[in-house]
Amino acid sequence: MPENTQLSLADDLLALLSDTTTEPRPDQQLEALTLAVAADLPVLLWGEPGIGKTAALNQLAESLELPLTTVIASVHEPSDFAGLPVVGDDPAVQGVPMAPPDWAVRLVRAGRGLLFLDELSTAPPAVQAALLRLVLERRIGALRLPPGVRIVAAANPRSSAADGWELSAPLANRFVHLQWVHDHDVVVRGLGGTWPRASLPVLDPGKLAGSVEYARRAVCGLLAVRPKLVHQMPSAETRRGGAWASPRSWDMALRLVAFATAAGASREVLSMLVRGTVGDGPGLELLACVDRLDLPDPESVLADPANAELPTRGDLRQAVLDGVVEAVRSRPTRARWDSAWAVLVHALETGAPDLVVVPASTLASLRREEWDVPVEIERLAGVVALSRGADRAAAKVRAGAGS
Amino acid sequence: MRTPSSRPRPTPSRPPLSSRPLDTDKLYTARLQAVRARPYLASALFALHVVESESVPTMAVDGYWRCYVSPGFVERTPVEELAGVWVHEVSHLLRDHHGRGDRVARARGLEGAGERLRMNIAADLEINDDIYGDGLVRPSGAVTPAGLRLREGLLMEEYLREFQLGPSTAEFVWLDCGSGADGRARGWDLGPDGADGLTEQQRDAVRFRVAEAVKGAPGDAPEGWKRWAETAFHPPQPWLELLGAALRSAVSGAGAGQDYSYGRPARRASSLPGVVLPSLRRRPPRVAVVIDTSGSVSDAELGSALLEVAAITRAVGGRRDLVTVVSCDAAARVAHPLCRAEDIPLIGGGGTDLRAGFTTALRTRPDVVVALTDGQTPWPPQPPCRTVVGLFPRTGRGRWRETDPTYVPEAPPGWAKVVEIG
Repeated sequence: MPENTQLSLADDLLALLSDTTTEPRPDQQLEALTLAVAADLPVLLWGEPGIGKTAALNQLAESLELPLTTVIASVHEPSDFAGLPVVGDDPAVQGVPMAPPDWAVRLVRAGRGLLFLDELSTAPPAVQAALLRLVLERRIGALRLPPGVRIVAAANPRSSAADGWELSAPLANRFVHLQWVHDHDVVVRGLGGTWPRASLPVLDPGKLAGSVEYARRAVCGLLAVRPKLVHQMPSAETRRGGAWASPRSWDMALRLVAFATAAGASREVLSMLVRGTVGDGPGLELLACVDRLDLPDPESVLADPANAELPTRGDLRQAVLDGVVEAVRSRPTRARWDSAWAVLVHALETGAPDLVVVPASTLASLRREEWDVPVEIERLAGVVALSRGADRAAAKVRAGAGS
Repeated sequence: MRTPSSRPRPTPSRPPLSSRPLDTDKLYTARLQAVRARPYLASALFALHVVESESVPTMAVDGYWRCYVSPGFVERTPVEELAGVWVHEVSHLLRDHHGRGDRVARARGLEGAGERLRMNIAADLEINDDIYGDGLVRPSGAVTPAGLRLREGLLMEEYLREFQLGPSTAEFVWLDCGSGADGRARGWDLGPDGADGLTEQQRDAVRFRVAEAVKGAPGDAPEGWKRWAETAFHPPQPWLELLGAALRSAVSGAGAGQDYSYGRPARRASSLPGVVLPSLRRRPPRVAVVIDTSGSVSDAELGSALLEVAAITRAVGGRRDLVTVVSCDAAARVAHPLCRAEDIPLIGGGGTDLRAGFTTALRTRPDVVVALTDGQTPWPPQPPCRTVVGLFPRTGRGRWRETDPTYVPEAPPGWAKVVEIG
């Protein structure tokens, strides 16, 4: 058979193989990446080789309508990033200019674009050192990247890196670290011919001012009561090179909370971003703080007990009830005390009774002598019985342990 | 959970039908008692969403923090035992038994309902050996390590290696704590899209609050919970990979190994007249391995660590004349044969003082010093090169000095990269 027929058959087969469709599918990693890039923070994707980091970047560039420039760090020399020293006629008079590479010139001329620094961890140290100046100061030789250029880097985790490189603590602090993992279902379905198409978060113009205020309230509310969280250098070897909390990374976290709020992103996405910026512990505390911001305000619950929207989840409901009792304790008046009892009765009628026991006994202890017992207390009789039942059971356990 | 063996056992497929409604007051009374006995578990216990279910034998949980409860089981179980069951079920979720079950199943190829039952039993063993007592009774019929003639204090993964299904476990074959205990989906599960499930972030938040509460009440929580709280968000890392990464990073850093230099012009320079280019030069590092071979380090520990070091040095250097091993004790039982096998010259050192080992090692002017030790030694001042310390963990049973009972060995210094081994 003639050769060209064979080749055209091969082309047909390749065309059939590449004939794939897409389906909408939420992708939280991609959402997190989009938000961080939109917020103009340098992102570092950590992931094993070959799990689709580059493919994700292609999709991101397409959806943000930014031209993508990929630079494989490991095949470049340091001077490709720091600038090539070109000796002119009279170096003593003119100096030696550091000439930037062509891709940098094109990026600067375009004024906008997505710069993807791939294989960061397999580049020799001198190349990495030159790259970090690019990431941090946005300078390549004599050029400075315009603000419209966004930078994303990718690295292999230390356990699978071909030669060891780890971020020093100051450098790690400047990145949003995202762990990139593959989703088994997505891979299987994709190889079967259907790849996912993620709908990316879009900022809502009406929410911009509100989300800044919200983010500031969350971060400042947390740091005001937990000053230790402001600066936490990683100490253990296993956590080195990852995200850690500092005023700089808190500023980044604040920005990310604002962006996630304005885009209406889910808590999972926010969790990835925040934990990848300030580290797991401080990140989780910030998320808990954000959760509390979403709980009903104790004062508004006290103002209208009958229509209060109490959360259905037990631990959140308990937090609201505790907050209500604390509010009464901080400013005890007869009306507020009565109103708090009404809240507890409302809670009892709409949810599990054991949650009411502790707030009820605390509230009872706040009573002043001149205050009469409100009628609502009658309806809490079941709670008292429940509490006694628990006491009896505990006594039985103690008796059993003693015998 | 389980009922006493004296009662008629429900079959796994079809528990006795009960038309009575769930006695929620009794169930919540039990939860209240559990919260009073274990205050640090309060947020987790309150976060569980109760689902009444006739098909569950007793009580069961799923990975989305729903708690399926059989009305009949609540009716026939005393309040104080129910409290224990609450804590037992929530422990499955806090300790991520469904995720760990899946991981073990993948790693060891354990498939099928029988293996998942074994996982459920192993998970129960991990929980039951330390959550009861101190205000909480163990429900009758609970599976315990003693009942299966096993040691206490192991993890689910370790218990899994210790027993097989057989006559000793026959009375637990109907046992079922739900998909939250072993990762296998059950018929009654509402699944990820069902109502009132917790998302991953919410689950993490609850686990985090409990971990903080445990750390905040160190006197009250038993050892098992404290250990859990320490590792809940920072699971121990694979030390072999970390040791390798630390060593690779040390030998490939500036001053050693392969890097650019302007010492000689690059080959590329000839095509670019007027441009000064650096060239790539490779200088293999000298590695000195200092091994603490005192009696407190076991042969197995040393052997495995040394093999890894030998493999790494082979990979980065390749030249045997650049590798030196110094054993820091007369009895270098393991180090000698190993080094002979790897053809590494062994230089003897003296005493168990690591400082002597370092002094000997620095005589070969290495680029990197790798120290393998249990850390119970004085440390030298900062040596003039990169240092990686592989530390064998020692807790509680440190070496002592007869003349000085208050002697505390110095911790590894800050200038070294320290990797916990094992």
